[in-house]
Amino acid sequence: MNPSFKGGIHINEHKDTAGCAIERMPAPSVVKISLAQHSGAPLRATVKAGDHVNIGQPIAESDASIWCPVHASVSGTVKAVERIADAGRAAPVEAVVIENDFLDTLDPSLTPPPSVDELTGEQIVERVRAAGIVGMGGAVFPSYAKIKNSTGKAKTLLVNAAECEPYITADHRLMLERPEEFLGGIDLLMRAMGVDNTIIAIEDNKKDAAALLREHMGERKNVEVRLLKTKYPQGEKSQIIYALTRREPTHGVRLADIGFVIFNAGTCAAIYRACTRGEALTERIVTVSGDCIGTPKNVLARIGTPIKEVIEFCGGLRETPKKVINGGPMMGAAQWNMEGVITKATSALLFLSDREEHRNALPPTCIRCGRCVAHCPMHLMPNYLAKLAQAKKYAECEDYHIGDCMECGTCSYVCPGHMEIIQYIRVAKGALRARR
Amino acid sequence: MNDKNTTVSPAIPDMLTVAHAPHVRHKDSTTRIMLDVVIALIPTLAWGTCVFGLRAFLVCLVCCVSCVGFEALAQWLMHRPITVLDLSALVTGLLLGLNLPSTAPWWMAVVGSAFAIVVVKQIFGGLGHNVFNPALAARVFLCLAWPAQMTFYTAPYDRLAFSAVDAVASATPLASLKHAAFPEASLVDMLLGRCGGTIGEVSALLLLVGGIYLLIRKVITWHIPVSFIGTVAVLTFIFPQTGGRLDFMLYEILAGGLMIGAFFMATDYVTSPVTSRGRLLFGFGCGALVVFIRYFGGYPEGVSFAILIMNSLVWYIERVTRPRVFGEVKKKHGK
Repeated sequence: MNPSFKGGIHINEHKDTAGCAIERMPAPSVVKISLAQHSGAPLRATVKAGDHVNIGQPIAESDASIWCPVHASVSGTVKAVERIADAGRAAPVEAVVIENDFLDTLDPSLTPPPSVDELTGEQIVERVRAAGIVGMGGAVFPSYAKIKNSTGKAKTLLVNAAECEPYITADHRLMLERPEEFLGGIDLLMRAMGVDNTIIAIEDNKKDAAALLREHMGERKNVEVRLLKTKYPQGEKSQIIYALTRREPTHGVRLADIGFVIFNAGTCAAIYRACTRGEALTERIVTVSGDCIGTPKNVLARIGTPIKEVIEFCGGLRETPKKVINGGPMMGAAQWNMEGVITKATSALLFLSDREEHRNALPPTCIRCGRCVAHCPMHLMPNYLAKLAQAKKYAECEDYHIGDCMECGTCSYVCPGHMEIIQYIRVAKGALRARR
Repeated sequence: MNDKNTTVSPAIPDMLTVAHAPHVRHKDSTTRIMLDVVIALIPTLAWGTCVFGLRAFLVCLVCCVSCVGFEALAQWLMHRPITVLDLSALVTGLLLGLNLPSTAPWWMAVVGSAFAIVVVKQIFGGLGHNVFNPALAARVFLCLAWPAQMTFYTAPYDRLAFSAVDAVASATPLASLKHAAFPEASLVDMLLGRCGGTIGEVSALLLLVGGIYLLIRKVITWHIPVSFIGTVAVLTFIFPQTGGRLDFMLYEILAGGLMIGAFFMATDYVTSPVTSRGRLLFGFGCGALVVFIRYFGGYPEGVSFAILIMNSLVWYIERVTRPRVFGEVKKKHGK
């Protein structure tokens, strides 16, 4: 049995697109590039309507201490800077709307280095920043900052290719089709951070990817591929570290301080492309799936591609979806409407009916079955947290370690009484934040 | 997907449902869990009908119908949503019926159901809020109010007429054990359920089958049944009341309501702890109390009292068995 952690649950995997090779989607005629594509405050546009932009040209900036640029993903003319709905955010965000001239003119600002092997750590960090690379598993923390924070502290690089969310196969396909990019990115990260060894963590439903990577390992030493049990949320940082090392990261301690740094598989490949070819992060692999989409696919789409274009590319809708999810079904955010776009965080676009929500007419009730307690990967008591939050006893939530909840959704998933446990926990967390 | 070009793609909706993740759920529901409990009790009910006659089945039926009826009535009176479709009242009714002797008067079944649903469950807030197991609390209430009727057990295969006027009382195995004598029924009779007792408690084997079904369906975990029965086994083996400690232990385990209590009553979600360690502690407490009451109490049977006493301690048990949070450093004087 491959290693795992205590708690969690095996969820119907729905990896229907595991056999779907990545298809490059034609660039859309209009892209809308969100200026809030990494954690922290949104950027400020540096272009205005009428400006001409090239692919890879930075179009926004910020005064924040940690930020990285976003780039035009097509060449063409800026039509407007307008607000668009963004899944998972409370308010619309600014976006730069660019009309494609279909010339695909590359911006001269990002160029490949004369020799990749001679890049210093600092040069790698600068290239990663300039390319606008963020954690592509969904956390969207600027990668250059993570490299800087971990340099000198981290001893082990963990590459998170667990892809534990149902449906998503973007990283799986990446490893199968572009192993050299993926492994090359790991080499660059190890060099930049001075890390001694690397563990690539893959859930055991992707044995083919693990075997392929082992074949492509070549001269590399200290890079190890490890299979983990397929169980949600295997890809959470604490759970992955425990599965691999049997060590429990103490709450509140930064991973770098205990010698670890984690990068997502897609991020590694993006870093490789930025450092070898000078590419900015202007496209990403997106798994398009769900029971309402005509043909599930893995697509390589430009950042800012409207969802409607993705639907058209994937054979239209099979039936009218109740929800469109940006990300996985367990932690992804529901789109407000069909006007949304692909961002750097869009690992998947899922078009879902509500069949797998198994809704019934009964009012949500905790019957104290204890399943949330048994399955919580953080070993919390989610039923207590939900009830305390319901009663607005937020201070008592802290006695039950509400801060340790990473909102993986396992408790809500297993609840037979259909309590919206995570929702209550988020309300309590918000109230506690507001008090500080 | 051959028909892809022939069918018209549905219109792209203007509005979508915005809700918090997760967007998928496990298919189990409260209703399904309660249905599983009912399924697990069907062999027991069938056996009860077989040994005690059709009247036993009708007693259970009256309890089920009255419990569901009282639940709907109480919720309607209290302006709560009517949730009889979650089947929890049906489970309460079935368990109450199985906990009555086959001679129980009809009115007693109805009064017991009213007490279980209205007093023990709905007044405390309905499903998920009651402190005590409704069926057990009702059984104890009936035992205290009408002790003669509640302990009027007939011999096995003494199938009664519906009026129960022809009933002849017979001693239960536990009554014999109370007087430090092995009962007439052999251990095999006890296992199969060829002995006196309430409708649902007699066949240890079929209760075990139902319990294993619940374990396989993951409706219950092993903690409470194992620690409950295990504690009774260990204590009765170490301190036998008569000669032949192994026989005595087996009689104590197979007799009375231990099996139905350990698998179906003590495992009631609402009135048992949610933590694994808490469930072990809960089962241990139940087992120890059962032996204590059987040895030293005035009643021959102590399962109902033991579980109800432990019900009242659930809150405290959960408090002291809260799991250590992942990555939590133990404080010296933790809460």
